[in-house]
Parts: sequence; structure tokens; C-alpha cells
Amino acid sequence: MVSDRQPLRIELAPTPQNGHSRAAMNESTSDVDSRDRVLLQRMATGDRAALETLYRAYHGGLCRFLSRLTRRADLIEEIVNDCFWIAWQKAGSFQGDSRVSTWIMGIAYRCGLKALRQRGDEPVDDYALREGRGPSHDPDEDRELRDWLGKALEHLSADQRVVVELVYGVGNSLDEVAAIMQAPVGTVKARLFHARIKLRNVLPTLAGDPPVQQENMS
Amino acid sequence: MTIQTNPGKDCARAWEIMPWVLQATAAPEQHEWLMHHLAQCAACSAEFAQQSRLRCALSLPTDVPVDAERGLKHLLQRLDAPEPETTPVRFWSSGRLTRLLAVAVVVQAIGIGALGVRLWSDQTPHYRTLSQPALLERAGALRIVPATGMKLADWNKLLHELDLRVIDGPNDVGAYAVVPAGSTLSSASLLRRLRADRDIRLAEPVDNTP
Repeated sequence: MVSDRQPLRIELAPTPQNGHSRAAMNESTSDVDSRDRVLLQRMATGDRAALETLYRAYHGGLCRFLSRLTRRADLIEEIVNDCFWIAWQKAGSFQGDSRVSTWIMGIAYRCGLKALRQRGDEPVDDYALREGRGPSHDPDEDRELRDWLGKALEHLSADQRVVVELVYGVGNSLDEVAAIMQAPVGTVKARLFHARIKLRNVLPTLAGDPPVQQENMS
Repeated sequence: MTIQTNPGKDCARAWEIMPWVLQATAAPEQHEWLMHHLAQCAACSAEFAQQSRLRCALSLPTDVPVDAERGLKHLLQRLDAPEPETTPVRFWSSGRLTRLLAVAVVVQAIGIGALGVRLWSDQTPHYRTLSQPALLERAGALRIVPATGMKLADWNKLLHELDLRVIDGPNDVGAYAVVPAGSTLSSASLLRRLRADRDIRLAEPVDNTP
């Protein structure tokens, strides 16, 4: 069973500080995608064990990704299940144009937007409910970091939060984010740019530091 | 911490590639260049530190408690449940519907064509005007010009006595065209009677009109 403590994609996007090489990362990404494709092929034949494996592998990452849209646990579970319901139905028609993770993230994103629309929820307002919801067993450092992040993300729109999550959290490229959000790359780039500008202004303040002053970033 | 303001292109380039260096997807030379720039630029170094912290924060598992096993159990139950009849029974298949629509269009075209033919063939109006040439060319038609002072009662009496019916007129010179409605008198007799009337200025057969 794959732990949901660290979603797969996060493990495959190491930082320069942790000593992983770029080649090693690409190899791991390729390996995981190959494994996911095999799982999809098995799902297409009705293999439920493959579905369970894929579900557990992606559950943590999807929940974190969807938590940028809504803070409701019941809704997140419903969206994840809608996503895998579709993946189960469409596994045989996966064309392989993108990585499996990109395909699944795209389905989850669309299911999330649909679920929020059906309930009339606004993801931006919904996100503001995050205060005080952190689990009490968090280490202090993680809780502090999480609070800092939560306050910062409140300054972003839902689309900007999703882009930031996909780029910084999941480690997707702009092309992959565009595929997931079904938006032009230029739009994704603009959302990332504006999100970063906002974060650059609020993150130091939230951390108790003076804001970083830079110009000509466009 | 020293904050520098660097409006140069290097800072913009550094800003551009920071996310990809953090992802370790930037080219090695970009990574090396950024590290070199960060060593010289305090502002970019501070920004990079913030982005690194942001990435660490975003890498934390979600704080929204969602039980994977519980969700998976619900999903499997959903798969086992009978699939609801979400798609209504289609009474008309798309191919059959297309053929029916085509037939309807053909029937409409035939109907419109029949109506067109009928209208085309029914050009004769259901009314007649006194100026229509066909009326003037009727056999036995006479053209008469009453005196301007002739009373209407005298005009009606004359027509009644001779059993004549006005089919045209008056025209620009005050002439009327009349035909025998059932009179047994010949045209010559009618002309004589008309010409004998003091209130009739002219009486001529239409056929003899030059």
C-alpha cells in the first residue's frame, strides 16, 4: 500500500538541495508513469486491484490539490471518487498523450469545478474557512508553515492557488498545468506570474520580514 | 538582511527560472547561473528563499482529513451498485429521426409546389372591372353618350325599357357601354330607339368603332 503522506508526484520532483539528480528524477517519473499506464490497462479489463492501487497512490496528492479548491472533507472525497469513477470508465480510452498523473489531475480538476458549481460554492470564499482546521497532532514547525501558507493563499484566487499548487506543490510544467486546466499556456503563465507577485508581497510580511523589493519582473 | 533593488535583466531572468530550478527541471546551466546570481543579489536570494519555503509548505500533506480507505470503500460500493438509468430510452434513433426529417422536408416541398402551381394557374381574379377589354368586345355592345342634363331617373327608365345593362363607363367623354340583358330587339332597333331619345347624344355599336 502506498502511503498518502507524500504523494507520488512530490517524491518525483526533488529539490536541488536534496541531492537528487535531474536524470534520476526523469527516470523515476518515467518509471512511475509506466507503472500507472499498466494499472490503467488492467483497469480497462475490469481489474479492481489495479483501481485500488492507483486510488491509494493518488489519494494524498489529489486531496491536497483539491484542498486548494475547497476545505470540505466530504466534498473532497466525493470529487476524488467522481474522478476515479471516470478513470475507471475511461481507462480503456486513455490515449497516452500525457502522463497518467496529468490525465487524472485534469479529471479531478474538472470534477472539482463541477461539484462546486452544482453546490453554488465559491472556491475563493470556501478557502477562507481554513483557519483553525489544522489537525492538532501536527508538529509545531509544520503547523507554523501550514498557517503561513494558508494565510498567503487566501490572497490568491482559486485559479491562482491551483496553478501555484501544480507548479510548486506537484511539480508540473506549464504545459502540463495547461493540459490539466484546459487553458492556454499563456493564461497559465499569467496566473502564475500574478500569483507570484501577490505572494512576493505578502509572504515576507506574514513571516515577519520586510517585503522583498524588486522591479522589472515581467 | 540587506535588501537591494536591482532593476536589471538578471533579476527578471532569475525570477523567471526560480520555479523550475526549485522543481529541478531547469537546465543545469540555468541552475548554475541562478546560484551564481543569488550569491550576488540579496533581493533575489531572499525571494528564492521565500519560494523554497513556499514549496516546502505546499509539499506538506493536506490538513483536511480525508480517509483514503473509507473513500475507496465508497467507490467500490458505487461500482457494485446497479447503474442508474441516466440515459432516457431513445424512442427515435438518430438515423431514423434523420430519415423522418428528410421525408417531412420532401412532403413540405411537394405541398409548397402544389400550392404554387395552383396559384400560378389561377391568375384570373374573382372580380371584374368595367374597363376590362373582354367586356367591351362582347357581341351587341353599344356605346352611348347621354346628354349632360339627362336625369338619372330618365337614364334608368330608358335602360329598363330597352332592357340594357351598363357594362362600362362613363369614360373620359362621358360614354357608357351597354349590352342587351335579354332584349329581343335587334341592335339596329335598339340604336334607332336610343337615337330617337332626345337625351341621348350618341349611340353607336362598339363593333363598328374605328
